[in-house]
Amino acid sequence: MIRLENVTKSYSAEVTALRDVSFDVAKGEFVFLVGPSGSGKSTLLRLLNRQERPERGAVWVAGRNIIDMPPSRVPHLRRNIGNIFQDYKLLSNKTVFENVAFAQEVIGRPKHVIRQQVPAVLDLVGLAGKEDRFPHQLSGGEQQRVSIARAFVNRPLILIADEPTGNLDPGTGEGIMRLLDRINKTGTTIAMATHDQRIVNTMRKRVIQLDRGVVVRDQARGVYQ
Amino acid sequence: MFSRLGYTFRETYASFRRNVTLTVAAIITAAVSLLIFGLTLLIQRGFDNLLQRWEGGVEMIVFVNAGTQPDGLQFISDALQEQVNSGTVQSFEYCDVACSLADADVVLAGDPTTRDLLDETNIPTLFKVVPSESTDVTFLRGLKEAYQTLPSVHSVTLAEDQLDLISKLQGFVSTYTTGLWIALMAASGLLIWNTIRTAMFARRREIEVMKLVGATDWFIRIPFMLEGLIQGVLGAFAAIGAMLFINWRWTEGVKDFPDSSGMTALVVVDGYQWWVALIILVFGALVGMIGSGIAASRFLDV
Repeated sequence: MIRLENVTKSYSAEVTALRDVSFDVAKGEFVFLVGPSGSGKSTLLRLLNRQERPERGAVWVAGRNIIDMPPSRVPHLRRNIGNIFQDYKLLSNKTVFENVAFAQEVIGRPKHVIRQQVPAVLDLVGLAGKEDRFPHQLSGGEQQRVSIARAFVNRPLILIADEPTGNLDPGTGEGIMRLLDRINKTGTTIAMATHDQRIVNTMRKRVIQLDRGVVVRDQARGVYQ
Repeated sequence: MFSRLGYTFRETYASFRRNVTLTVAAIITAAVSLLIFGLTLLIQRGFDNLLQRWEGGVEMIVFVNAGTQPDGLQFISDALQEQVNSGTVQSFEYCDVACSLADADVVLAGDPTTRDLLDETNIPTLFKVVPSESTDVTFLRGLKEAYQTLPSVHSVTLAEDQLDLISKLQGFVSTYTTGLWIALMAASGLLIWNTIRTAMFARRREIEVMKLVGATDWFIRIPFMLEGLIQGVLGAFAAIGAMLFINWRWTEGVKDFPDSSGMTALVVVDGYQWWVALIILVFGALVGMIGSGIAASRFLDV
């Protein structure tokens, strides 16, 4: 589903975010990207949805090298990738329902489809009955669930999550991870950057460790270390 | 399709409400600049009307008494032809009753009462004369005096008597109003551009989310372009209303000018003002749409 081949990404002559990174992620796999701040985790995730482009190497997503993809095709690529952020990135002037529906609206899904699919995904993430609330009326964990619902509502092939539990207490973070695990079991590939040692050690999924832009460990059913 | 249209209009309306002050400022600036643009075109047209009878190098008009018989006209024509043969006059042209009535339609456009008094029976016909030497005032005045003594000649008018002042006035007004509307139009375009930029900055989070969930750039851009277009069109409508009002007031005012003022043709009553209104509308829409389109493209990566 995802393949990186000798990817190097620099922000300037002095700052190299990734150096010669290569790995494969199979369909339906759950991968943790771990490493200290500045190790290149977020850059790697940003390469997957073409927010960034590398200087060298190839990035394959769903069988296509997205580095050479014309800009007009990038929106279509992104429709197959859901994004979850540490700060949720919810729209404060929209309700829970509208935030999730927004992801369908902007890609032209018909109203009747939106009316059918949004409640279903809100039910999946445990927010049934809270459709009319605004983000500020929700807890941090609930806001992250809305963000997950928005990322998943279009049934993407891949979910990329950049420290989704970073702003949450451990108990709430566990709930979010259970939800992501459920989504992963539907066949969605998940790549998640995290600093949360406890979560990585509990989940025992594949772990790719980065240090100063280099892959220093790639371990199936790994732990944080 | 309909959900996208609904989305576009909803977002445009929301953006308008969010940016009321800037939007109103952009509309007013667009209206003022388009109004000056429209008035410039009308003023130029008015001057063109005023100078129409002097086109083609005509420096002198010999008015013939109404009802002059063909032999009287032939006498004047022969006298002018002699001047052509001697090289004093380069050419001349006779403007018959129909031609003179058409001429009066333009010259007396601002004074319909006087125009209504003229018909085939009483309108003076005229000869338009192009002298060989048009810059020598003494020479032209000599010619004028000579023609005034011819039988059946009612009066002789020199272009110099009217043209010089009008031409200078036209040049002055055209130059400054053109400069003014270009500057104001640029200000209006920049203000619309800034309104859109502010709107996009206010919605940067939304735009980021839109891009990440796979919205195309055009999908994001269109509500902003529609907003700019509406600003331009509203400005244009305000300008058109003001321009038509000013044109009506001016036309009414010119009716009170004395005939001897020579300014009765300085009006636009031939429908040209509707063409100007259309030009203003198209221009306003284009400036609004292009300004906002450029801003939307420029700030799509907010």
